[in-house]
Amino acid sequence: MNTSIIRFILGHVLRIEGMLFLLPALTGIIYREDEALAYILMAAITFLLSFAMTIKKPKDTVFYLKEGCVTTALSWIIMSLFGCIPFMLTGEIPDFVDAYFEMVSGFTTTGASILKDVEAVSHASLMWRSFSHWIGGMGVLVFLLAIIPLTGGSNINLMRAESPGPSVGKLVPRMKSSARILYLIYIGLTVIEFILLLVGKMEVFDSLCITFGTAGTGGFGIENSSAGDYTAYQQWVIAIFMMLFGVNFNFYYFIIHKKYKKAHEIEEVWWYLGFIIISSIVIFTQIVGSVGVIEPAARQAFFQVSSIITTTGYSTVDFNTWNTLSKAVLVTLMFIGACAGSTGGGMKVSRIVILSKTFLKEAGSYLHPRSVKKIKMDGELIDHDVIRSTNVYLVAYTMIFVLSFLIVSYDGKDLVTSFAAVAATYNNIGPGLGLVGPAENYSVLSSLSKIVLTFDMLFGRLELFPMIMLFHPGIWKETILSKTRCRKR
Amino acid sequence: MFEKAHSHTHEKPGLRVIIVGAGKVGRTLVDQLTKEGNDVTIVDKSHEKIDEITNLYDVMGLVGNGANYSIQKEAGIDSADLLIAVTDSDELNLLCCTIGRRVERCAAIARVRTPDYIPEISYLKDRLRLAMIINPDLEASREMARLFYLPSALEVHSFAHGQAELIKFKVPSGHAMASKKIREFAHEMHNKNKDVRLLICAVERSGQVQIPNGDFQIEAGDIVSFVLPRRDRRSFLHLMGFENFTVNNCMIVGGGRSAYYLSLQLIHMGIHVKIIERDPKRCEELSDLLPDAIIINGDGTDEALLREEGIESVDSFVSLTGIDEQNIFLTLHCRKVSNAKVITKINRTNFGDVISDLDLGSVIYPRFITSEAIIAYARARRASISTNIETLYHMYDSRVEAIEFRVDTKSRATDTPLRDLPIRGHLMIAFINRRGKIILPSGDDRILIGDTVTVVTTNTGFNDIDDILS
Repeated sequence: MNTSIIRFILGHVLRIEGMLFLLPALTGIIYREDEALAYILMAAITFLLSFAMTIKKPKDTVFYLKEGCVTTALSWIIMSLFGCIPFMLTGEIPDFVDAYFEMVSGFTTTGASILKDVEAVSHASLMWRSFSHWIGGMGVLVFLLAIIPLTGGSNINLMRAESPGPSVGKLVPRMKSSARILYLIYIGLTVIEFILLLVGKMEVFDSLCITFGTAGTGGFGIENSSAGDYTAYQQWVIAIFMMLFGVNFNFYYFIIHKKYKKAHEIEEVWWYLGFIIISSIVIFTQIVGSVGVIEPAARQAFFQVSSIITTTGYSTVDFNTWNTLSKAVLVTLMFIGACAGSTGGGMKVSRIVILSKTFLKEAGSYLHPRSVKKIKMDGELIDHDVIRSTNVYLVAYTMIFVLSFLIVSYDGKDLVTSFAAVAATYNNIGPGLGLVGPAENYSVLSSLSKIVLTFDMLFGRLELFPMIMLFHPGIWKETILSKTRCRKR
Repeated sequence: MFEKAHSHTHEKPGLRVIIVGAGKVGRTLVDQLTKEGNDVTIVDKSHEKIDEITNLYDVMGLVGNGANYSIQKEAGIDSADLLIAVTDSDELNLLCCTIGRRVERCAAIARVRTPDYIPEISYLKDRLRLAMIINPDLEASREMARLFYLPSALEVHSFAHGQAELIKFKVPSGHAMASKKIREFAHEMHNKNKDVRLLICAVERSGQVQIPNGDFQIEAGDIVSFVLPRRDRRSFLHLMGFENFTVNNCMIVGGGRSAYYLSLQLIHMGIHVKIIERDPKRCEELSDLLPDAIIINGDGTDEALLREEGIESVDSFVSLTGIDEQNIFLTLHCRKVSNAKVITKINRTNFGDVISDLDLGSVIYPRFITSEAIIAYARARRASISTNIETLYHMYDSRVEAIEFRVDTKSRATDTPLRDLPIRGHLMIAFINRRGKIILPSGDDRILIGDTVTVVTTNTGFNDIDDILS
């Protein structure tokens, strides 16, 4: 294990976080809030720490997959750790477990909150909560790759560990340019949504927070009713942009470069849109009777489907009160999640596509046991390794889910609440069902459950393996062994 | 990883390069071209090879047949500057380049190895409008043949169309140069013969390479590189006290393509060649191609056979089998049992540190020879039009570069006496070639338009003559 390069990169991550603290600090200054001080203080502390960590350059810059995994997992844990301190300093969330839960929920773009009254929180902290979604959506290490001169090719291991999807590739030969393109698309879409919301006469502060929440597919609201109090126009804008941020960003890249054929070939996007349309129609037919009018019913159905499949978690109505079929559709969408290469969470549509195709192929092999058939996606053969790792992903995903579910059930809440709490945090959605539904929050759970759910959020955002690697005894053994060996020399 | 790239490579945007074929040479090229800040896309049919390369280097990988236009389009041929085809098959390489040349601005380089095509190389190159056709085996054999003129040298690189050479020697213990400063020794030499000037460009001592100045003290065991105009070669070496003998015969183990090319040149030089090859069919082919050589069918790694064929009394011994380990063992064995000049071919470059620790004598790396020529071309394309890179060599495991620039237009470096130029550190202007006359420069000399200038430097990545200035 190359511990010095890990330290060096973590130092850079902290420096970026220090800069990011300046936005809530500025917000606080504009609204003349004392909370701004906490953010300024934290910016100073992270800056100093970052300088201490990066002053010595690592001699050995070799960087393998395991270092990529460990660095990614550690940087998310440490970023959340520093990010949650202002909540405690300002006294808005005094308890550490609560504050950490809230911050991880922000960075992992989950949007699950333990705050009972969001409207009582200062503007600075609200801005920080929403801004953390925007950072976490595309990933801070991808940002690092875009701005820092990195030499050597092994840094794809960083992007691989942080970006969602079964196989992470590059758009252009150089990592740095690829990361830049992703961020440019991301920023571009963010700006468009922000302007459209402003046009819809939303307050600047509100539109900024909501845009950050949508872009990162996070879902922290700044009102107790989430998105319920916004106008129909504003809700349509949010719903459509949630959907757009859940699309594989390669799709936009191809569209911008007029490679329509390549864009058309991304199967995942069509499956994703198909899921949205079908689910919206099913839910619409279920709720149109009770709502009575067509437009609000269609809007509510589409908004909720778009919000849940992209794992954003905004809500315009309390879907806890919908009938069982509608809720079942939403829970299914929770697990499917958004496209790979987007800012959304969940299992990812591309994995579902691969798994379904593998399943069909297996079923077919019972009919013709000696048949040879290769699985294709996007017009290309899927590498056997990708299929294998997708299957393993499903297994690991299920095991961690079951384990968390069992621990959370220890709280004694009802089955729906426990199940939905794990599903909604593990897939980075936010609001679940029952006691953790859209009109409620996570403060009812015990500290143990909150800790488990905090880890679930990290597991879900980083797609399991970087976090699993962090806890792998082999990694620790190797680190400790190499340290002692160095000392002996 | 976070090192700042050299400032001068930052100034100019990188080339967009497509490499077809992820073999040994393809990989060396990826390594070099990405280090120099170019955008590289690599195409190969094998998924595993592409995976391996994209994990190691910052490049885009593409699985498919590089001669397919739609694959080339996907690799970005429309905006590419350079297409390099280095697959195993010559015909595929030529086809790739022919198809790639549909895009007018994209230059194409193909590797062609089969001897059958060699007579037609220049026709093919013109006809298919290629920038370069490269034959690594032929180039390697040329480099080896140069060593036969100077058997006591470790390496000979030729510049200015063979007018000047960079020659690498190991300083033996007890040599007149040992434990002396370069300035003192040069003075001694000058007293003996007024015509000869000594210019040492690079010295390697226990793994460290330096560009020395006059106060540098040479020790026995150092590996030093001299610049020599070709005409002074014999007298200079005599003066230096390096014994130089004439090679009359040569034993080659392994009868591949490079053995064939080398034998052709050696026979032309009047050296008796004996080739030991295992495959009887190949032996018959060789005897048809090389009627003047002795072809032995047998296992070249068999000690008894080697002795029977007189390994103890040969003047020179070249191991050219396809297996590096065999080549190394053969050479070490030969050094033990005879005094012959030995040359080893190494195809892969793994474990370079171990290889450089072994006392192998001269070592030839065909894949470096290929990539050097291509990189020289790529750098020249990146540079402004005013200069051009004629030749480029990597020396001392790529830690030192020797580059020959052609100066076609006026620039900051021209027309000023060298002493007044702000020349970078770790750099030496080895010589200036002015219309075929080799000048070993002093402070009063200046670079004129029309010259070619050769510099030796540990700062790698120069594109342009102006890069020598700080």
